[in-house]
Amino acid sequence: MPGIRSQACLLLLALGLSLPVGASERTLRVAVLSKSPPMSFVDAAGKLAGFNVRVAHALCDVMSVRCELTAMPLERVVDAVAAGEFDFAAVSLLDTAERRSRILFSKPYYRSSSIWFARPGVEPGAAGIRVAAVTGSAQSRYARAHGWNIVNVPHHAEFPALLTERKADAVLLPMASALTLRQEPSIQSLGLVTTVIQRPELSGEVCFGIDPQNPELRDQINKAFDRIKRDGRFDRLNSEYLPFRLQ
Amino acid sequence: MQRQSLIARLSRRAWPAGKAFALVGGAFGCTFLALLFWLAVDQHLVLDGSQRLLDHAVPATLERFRLARNVEQLRLEGEHVFSGRTPVARQQALFIVSLLASHPAVLADARAAGLAGEVERFLSRSMHEGMSEARHAEWAMLASRLTLLADDVSSEGVNLATADLHRMSATMLQSRSKLLLVLALVAVFVGGFVFLIRRHLIQPLQAIDQALSALGSGQAVTPFAPASMLEIRAVERAIGQLREVMQENETTREQLERLATTDGLTGMFNRRHFLAVAEEEIKRAQRYSRPICVGMADLDFFKHINDSHGHASGDLVLQSVAEIFARTLRHSDWGCRFGGEEFAFVFPETGLREAHRLAERLRQSAAASQIALADGSRVDITLSLGLADASSCPLEIALQRADAALYDAKQQGRNRVVTAPVGHATGETARQPFNGDAPPSVDTAST
Repeated sequence: MPGIRSQACLLLLALGLSLPVGASERTLRVAVLSKSPPMSFVDAAGKLAGFNVRVAHALCDVMSVRCELTAMPLERVVDAVAAGEFDFAAVSLLDTAERRSRILFSKPYYRSSSIWFARPGVEPGAAGIRVAAVTGSAQSRYARAHGWNIVNVPHHAEFPALLTERKADAVLLPMASALTLRQEPSIQSLGLVTTVIQRPELSGEVCFGIDPQNPELRDQINKAFDRIKRDGRFDRLNSEYLPFRLQ
Repeated sequence: MQRQSLIARLSRRAWPAGKAFALVGGAFGCTFLALLFWLAVDQHLVLDGSQRLLDHAVPATLERFRLARNVEQLRLEGEHVFSGRTPVARQQALFIVSLLASHPAVLADARAAGLAGEVERFLSRSMHEGMSEARHAEWAMLASRLTLLADDVSSEGVNLATADLHRMSATMLQSRSKLLLVLALVAVFVGGFVFLIRRHLIQPLQAIDQALSALGSGQAVTPFAPASMLEIRAVERAIGQLREVMQENETTREQLERLATTDGLTGMFNRRHFLAVAEEEIKRAQRYSRPICVGMADLDFFKHINDSHGHASGDLVLQSVAEIFARTLRHSDWGCRFGGEEFAFVFPETGLREAHRLAERLRQSAAASQIALADGSRVDITLSLGLADASSCPLEIALQRADAALYDAKQQGRNRVVTAPVGHATGETARQPFNGDAPPSVDTAST
């Protein structure tokens, strides 16, 4: 009898120890970009910051889950989410057919366009020019599709150096990143001109990418987006990082 | 006609209470469920409306607000293009203007897209060609148009929810009317239910209660109107049977009581009952120190009547004497057939003098009557009576003394009243048997 009692006590103890762990909120693995201000970057304190990072935290807060953010270059994002390494990617992904075939998309959370940043007189598609774009981006894909001479870089943050060092004649990048690049002091003297490229492949709705094996998470994220857009959190973050409304 | 007769048949018919009220309750439940469903339709509409408001109207309103904010931002950046402190700041502002002018969210609205394009072109031109007074004036107009557009877009956003809110409000009003109607129907139904319970259960039960109270107090029971509930009818039938049984029992009890207290021949009290009654009267008189007397009477020469005319005639004579007593005695006096032709009396509230007058009246009544016998002959009778005061001695003693006085009356020649002297010793007046009773005078004349 004492043996049975002690076993029962041990069982209860094990349950008591395991329950808090089991009952605690689940953790989602979230992919973010590391050097893509103002959407996602590492701040002066060494912490991940930016609009997308804060939106990811807000979504996790609404879903009552803990998020574990991992920074990576854009090139790896779709592959990693498609492989199930991450539950979702808090990365502004243009909704393209190629991506949609591999991962799930959340509902669009804003609409973006692409900006051509170049020296004066350097026009999109001109022969012989070198166009920089982030590997894995819609802009890179567009440039490749049009047979442009591409300089691929892993992060948006590398564009100023490319331009000042004349390793690229132009850059093609998303609207929000262009805002930060435009403010970069090192390029102010270059007299760069900007052109908004109104091409369907380069503008449109932007979504988060979600593990293709987890449609329930997509529904949860969509509801969470509705929630933070209704309660004002989304707009506050928008005001914090960008001069105008993204949506 | 057929319908009327059907209703009449239904109303006359007796129903099992459980089934009847289950039927009524079921009808109420079904009606109530139908009404609830009717109300639920409105509730569903309101819920749909609020969900639509939440899913479509509110997001669309927020989008309009965001567009208004971007239009306003366009104006602000335009101001920066004009008033920026450095060329870089002005370039930056113009860049944001161009972003806004080509922002898909702005392009989605035709008015905003047109005005934003106009603003971008104007500002680019101004940036390259220089800021003149005329351009400042033109910009002031453009800025004003941007502000008005921002106001319009904001107002549109607010109005987007108005239609849904109006629809929900109308549904709520309709729902309120329905609810009132449902409440009224429920009230009518509950009222009807209470009426039915009162009419078919409570009132019959009250009638049963009254009938049982009446039975308990021995009053006559009013016959029941036929109840509509089978169970109530069964109870009413049982009460009817109970009433009959109780009446039979009462009759029997009265017969038994009469048999136990009266003499079968004369109808007077029998000796046992008389002794009990007299005992009570004497106790009461002695408790309150009131006068009371007892008397003994004997029919003179009764043996001779029996011998001469037979026992049947003797019985007739005894019955006639009992009738004389009934006629002559007061209501407050008690008399009994003590045995054979001997009678005893108790006279409450009566002293010896008064008792003597009363006894004398009895004697005279007897002596004045001629009793017609069955054979046509008539017989005269006389009574000898002895009286004794009972106000200060037990009944037994008083009766012994009255009996001794009766003996004295017999000794003195019969047909007379003798009063026992007060304080006369019982042993000294012990009665001796009579011998040589002379026959009474008999009128043998035929009638």
